[in-house]
Amino acid sequence: MSVLHVLFKVDGTEYAMPAADVVQMESFSGATPVPGAPAHVAGLVQVRGRVIPVVDARTRFGLPPGTRSLDSRVVVGQLGERTVGLLVDSAREVLKLDPRTIQPPPPMVVEGAKGFVKAVAQVGPRLVMLIDFPRVVGEETANVDGQR
Amino acid sequence: MTTSVEFAEFLPAYLAEVDELLASAQRDLLAVEEAVRRGAAQPRAVRELFRALHTIKGLSAMVDVEPIVSVAHWMETSLRLADQAGGRLPESSVEPLVEGLRAIEQRVRQLGAGKPASPAPANLLERLEALGPHVLEAAPPQPRRVVLDAEAAFASKLAPSERGQLEAGLAAGQRAVRLDFVPSAGRAAQGLTINTVRERVAKLGDIVKVLPLSGAAAGGASLAFALLLITSSDDAALLDAVGGAPATVRSLEADAPEEAAVPLAPLPPTAVPVAVAEEEMEEPEVRRGGGLLRVEVSRLDEAMEWLAALVVNRSRLTRAVTALTATGAPTRELTAILQENGRQLRDLRSAILRLRMVRVGDVLERLPLLVRGLRRTTGKSVRLELDVGDAELDKAVADRLLPALVHLVRNAVDHALELPEERVAAGKPPEGLVHLGCHARSSGQLEITLRDDGRGVDAKAVAKAANAPVPESVDGLLDLLCRPGLSTRQEATSTSGRGMGMDIVRRIVVEQLGGELRMETRKGAGTTFTLRVPLTVTLVDAIVFECAGLKYAVAVGTVEELIDVDALRVVRPAGADGLGLVERRGAAVPLLSLERLLGRTAPAQAGVSRGAKALIVRQRGEPVAFAVDRLLGQQEIVLRPLEDPLVRVPGVAGATDLGDGKPTLVLDLGALGAAHGVRRKGAARPGEWVS
Repeated sequence: MSVLHVLFKVDGTEYAMPAADVVQMESFSGATPVPGAPAHVAGLVQVRGRVIPVVDARTRFGLPPGTRSLDSRVVVGQLGERTVGLLVDSAREVLKLDPRTIQPPPPMVVEGAKGFVKAVAQVGPRLVMLIDFPRVVGEETANVDGQR
Repeated sequence: MTTSVEFAEFLPAYLAEVDELLASAQRDLLAVEEAVRRGAAQPRAVRELFRALHTIKGLSAMVDVEPIVSVAHWMETSLRLADQAGGRLPESSVEPLVEGLRAIEQRVRQLGAGKPASPAPANLLERLEALGPHVLEAAPPQPRRVVLDAEAAFASKLAPSERGQLEAGLAAGQRAVRLDFVPSAGRAAQGLTINTVRERVAKLGDIVKVLPLSGAAAGGASLAFALLLITSSDDAALLDAVGGAPATVRSLEADAPEEAAVPLAPLPPTAVPVAVAEEEMEEPEVRRGGGLLRVEVSRLDEAMEWLAALVVNRSRLTRAVTALTATGAPTRELTAILQENGRQLRDLRSAILRLRMVRVGDVLERLPLLVRGLRRTTGKSVRLELDVGDAELDKAVADRLLPALVHLVRNAVDHALELPEERVAAGKPPEGLVHLGCHARSSGQLEITLRDDGRGVDAKAVAKAANAPVPESVDGLLDLLCRPGLSTRQEATSTSGRGMGMDIVRRIVVEQLGGELRMETRKGAGTTFTLRVPLTVTLVDAIVFECAGLKYAVAVGTVEELIDVDALRVVRPAGADGLGLVERRGAAVPLLSLERLLGRTAPAQAGVSRGAKALIVRQRGEPVAFAVDRLLGQQEIVLRPLEDPLVRVPGVAGATDLGDGKPTLVLDLGALGAAHGVRRKGAARPGEWVS
């Protein structure tokens, strides 16, 4: 059974996550920074009335900061009760991925990607990284040294 | 403005009171209209309407709002005549009365918005004044002479209209009875008091008057109440409603037919049982009260604030106990008490929150009047079905939600429903349907559906008006509909303007309340809007300011003082790591750069000098000044807590929308400073507890 995936680009590389986990995609016009939040949190955005945190994929993947453009997208994903956005360079495609083309990632990718990539899919000549969305988003709370 | 100080002080109470009276007046007027259409009398509604106008007139005279006094006066005059005529009004009188209420309402809104009330329209006053004679003509001649048992009915205590009401009831073939209720401690324990008895009896008939009796008249008891009513129920049902004996039922119809020749005359006072305080008992407040209390929302908020102080105190206590435990002290009992205390605080919180809940049905009570008005202006035949159950909603949510619902109902009648002939041509009943349903969801949300059986949304027309391609999905269509300024109408109509407003509906539902708005529509079959809103929101009076190019809000209650900071007078002690000191009333107050606390600039270039203003906040009892760039003002905000662990950070109480569609952080400066202090030093200062 082919599964529908949302494809997006970060620093030239293509990534994908199951469309079932994606609530919607929004264009990005800046986030409200949250002091003391983990470094990979770009800030807060309002999506249809909900205030959600946005994780910057570039920072998370240890990539150089990119410039925001009209192509920048927030992929809004559902993680159980949580709704979290992922800021990516662009997101245009929705594709059905055949499970037979999906392979475990090569060891070097595993190492370099800190476990954020859980599989690699072959789409024609292209290689698409399947991300582990919960791990990318992370549960880290910010500096818990302060008092609540 | 010539507004006096007293007026300004009295205004909120006046507005609240008049608002409530207007709401009940509108209800009563609808009931009257209904009766008029059937050609029946509606004595009770006419009476209540008369009283409401009477009270509005009195209150308005006290605050000297002449236009409202004039309108209310002429309405009251004709209603008094109608009351005396047994509650009959000619059909032609309904429209001017509706307009009168509307004119009063408009002026109340103007006052509420801080504007003077505009003068009463002269032609409306003339028409209201002309109502009186019409009302008299409409009064029916007495159809059949019926006679009341004067003694049983306390003839001397009855107003002519009340007598007329009892007689009219008899003439119409109903029973006029006197039901005596004897209160006692035992009955009160069963929930039977004069108030509950009133409610129960009111279900069985029309209560004309309630008289308290004392002494011999009370049939041996020290106090009893006589309820005079018109009813079709039998004695057994009535007695059952008041808990059986020693209550009694007596018919008020006189036995002796020859007495019919003698019109009811007041008996000598000595022959009449002693009635006490009869006038006060008849005040509408007594009936309306029924164990209800009207409280200003600000007082509830005050209670909330005290609760917040308790919560803060508890967390300090918890920290202290934790520290004590760490030293090996026996704290088991203390810990148990603390846990108990935590539960109690939660209970108290939910009790206070419940106080703020209002019934959705009460919130929607003006919709029938709205639809009535729309029926007239659009010439459409509309039935409004309300299926709201007993769901409850926070007052703050209700106040925000109502305009959105008004908008949707207006749109449904004005745009969605077709004219009767079009409907018939399309094979539909000539009368259009607007159905409003309401269900509380378990997730702390209220779901409201507004359904019409009109023509449905024309996607092509909307796309054309929006100058956009025809949307593929219904969500896309809703997005187009919600574009600011969109209109599919060329002409503005008086009711829906240019059909704008869906953007406002979405703003209210989605952005202000954090809810959801969905739509389903089928061509020719109708449209359904589904709104989901949270049952409660947290409202905070906040100071909004700017710091390093971003806006922030902070709860007014936490800020002790706003001061100007003169950069030249900030003292920077050596080794204080950028911390400054400012002088306030002879004491040195630490001055922190908020910009730096928020991590908006690199520490090296941070300086307090940029701050032109500072907010003074107590941090563990000590005043601390936070330098900011600019104060933008004070406003009420809806506080949304941040749920996600990624952004649950100390010093940030939540986020709010200031109207730009972007989240603005609501800071808790005390906690922010404390978190920073700990981070910076890596250790607590002596005398501080750190968990």
